[in-house]
Amino acid sequence: MKLNEKVKKILLVDDDIDLLEQNKMLIESKGFEVVTAESGSEGYEMFKKELPDAAIIDLIMEQHDSGFVLCHRIKRTEHGKITPVYILTSATYETGFKFSASTDEEKDWIKCDGILHKPVVIEEMLSKLDNFFKE
Amino acid sequence: MNKKPKILIVDDEKGLRLGTKRLLESEGYYVETAENGTIGIQLGTKKDFDIAVIDLKMPDIDGTAVLKAIKEAKPNTVCFIATAYASYDSAVESTRLGAYSYIPKPFTPDEFIHEIEKGYKQRLLILEAEKLKQEREERMLELANEKSRLNTIIESITSGVLVVNSTGEIVYYNHAALNKLDIEEISLGEYILDKLPDEITESVNKYLKSDQVIYNSYTVEVELKTHRELFVDVTCSPVVHPDGSLAGVVIVIKNITEFKKIELLKSQFVSMVAHELKTPIAAVQGFLKIILDDQLNIDREKQKEYLQRSTVRLEGLLTLVNDLLDISRMEIKSKKRDIEELDVKEIFDSTLQFLEIEIKKKGIIVELNIEEEIPPLKADQNEITRLLTNILSNAIKYNKSNGTINIEVQTNNNYFLIDIADTGIGLTPEEKEKLFLEFYRAKNENTRNVSGTGLGLTIVKRIIDSYHGKITVDSTYGEGTIFKIQLPK
Repeated sequence: MKLNEKVKKILLVDDDIDLLEQNKMLIESKGFEVVTAESGSEGYEMFKKELPDAAIIDLIMEQHDSGFVLCHRIKRTEHGKITPVYILTSATYETGFKFSASTDEEKDWIKCDGILHKPVVIEEMLSKLDNFFKE
Repeated sequence: MNKKPKILIVDDEKGLRLGTKRLLESEGYYVETAENGTIGIQLGTKKDFDIAVIDLKMPDIDGTAVLKAIKEAKPNTVCFIATAYASYDSAVESTRLGAYSYIPKPFTPDEFIHEIEKGYKQRLLILEAEKLKQEREERMLELANEKSRLNTIIESITSGVLVVNSTGEIVYYNHAALNKLDIEEISLGEYILDKLPDEITESVNKYLKSDQVIYNSYTVEVELKTHRELFVDVTCSPVVHPDGSLAGVVIVIKNITEFKKIELLKSQFVSMVAHELKTPIAAVQGFLKIILDDQLNIDREKQKEYLQRSTVRLEGLLTLVNDLLDISRMEIKSKKRDIEELDVKEIFDSTLQFLEIEIKKKGIIVELNIEEEIPPLKADQNEITRLLTNILSNAIKYNKSNGTINIEVQTNNNYFLIDIADTGIGLTPEEKEKLFLEFYRAKNENTRNVSGTGLGLTIVKRIIDSYHGKITVDSTYGEGTIFKIQLPK
């Protein structure tokens, strides 16, 4: 990272405080700044206050779709329109919750920029962020 | 002759009457006589004679009138006309009226016996024909009854039944089939295959289009896109002629929608279980990875903290697995439950003792009021302890510090009434609705630090249901919750 380059700020939202802390630590270790929130509503307030460069949101929090709801709310804000938002979930095809954000139709109702599966591979998460920041 | 043939002689001439009577009786016949036409009609129409010999000329009534009357009443009696005044006209008239033959007087005993024997043979033939006709009619009736019985049986089956012949025409159906397939009208003999869903047509065609007769049955599951959600299981079986060729195919359509729904619920439950199991594993795995990561190089203090937090997650995981085992045990247990008479006070005391550490930790005051001389509760001790532990541990976990738990136990004619009230965070109406769902946990800023599997109240509900009891919940958000339990006495 070059000195004159601004440190990128990531918002992490997860109601599981253990996972939240772990991901925070891992992302920080790669040179990012991390802010956290433990619920959808807290995440929304944090997003508006911190204006992060990217957000990674757990899907199932207060409700089964809290992550999607937060994502929608973020994408409706001015800053949200230019910020990548990733949904983090352990809900996968094997567990029967069937969704992805690969087709245009899915992207239309899941407003996120990508889906990351738990247990998260930090390299995957970072490479997605890197790709986005390079663009 | 095991039964004597019955003969009626109608003649006004006494000598002839008695003579023929004697003659016939000596030949083994049973004979009655009538001295005039009136008596002849009386006897001949009342009794069932095999043969009647009627004199044509009598002073009161003419023989043809007697013949007519007898033939009308007893069409199977073989009638002879006997007369000394034989004429062509009277012969024709008698035959027209149903006389079998004509005996001209005078006659010799041999001639007479010969005629009577001939007549009796005729009578036996008539009776035999009559019997056959009757039997045939009875069989026809039975066949009709059989068909209508079969109809009733097949109509009463809730599965749909269709039978098609080897050219695909419908030869039999019941209304359940029409209903399931959403067909408004079919008529027998109509080509049906193009009216059936593709999957069924395909199955039927396996039989109809095969060069060799297939003797196996095929079953396919089909989702019928009718006016409602309907899953059916369709079994096709061949109907084979005695010569081995294919007569047609029987199609039985069974509704399996309910079964499918249960299957879906089961798979949703498995999905949720998988998700709930994966989460703590992910947390523990994450901590271990961090501890093992040389680049992160975290200090010993932090390492210890992470190992402790991992232990807590693993304990939670173990509780979850135990809860799941309890639920599955409950599903098979209902039959081998260990019912005994439980002392109500004792069971509350021991449960509260078990929870004592948590109660003290939060400084909660427990008030227990049990009706005096309460009868014993007939139930499985483990189940009741589990039920009370789950409700009381919620009342502790979700209570505020130094709150209270009030337990009232009473009885009415039929039930034990157990009210457990806490001064905890309470439930919103939306939360209340979902309370007994598997894995549901009220999640808000007040519950963030409360651990649990989300199965506690599911287990409670299942125990109470298995005793045919009832549980309801009253709650005011922010003030507290009361669980009201009814268990049969």
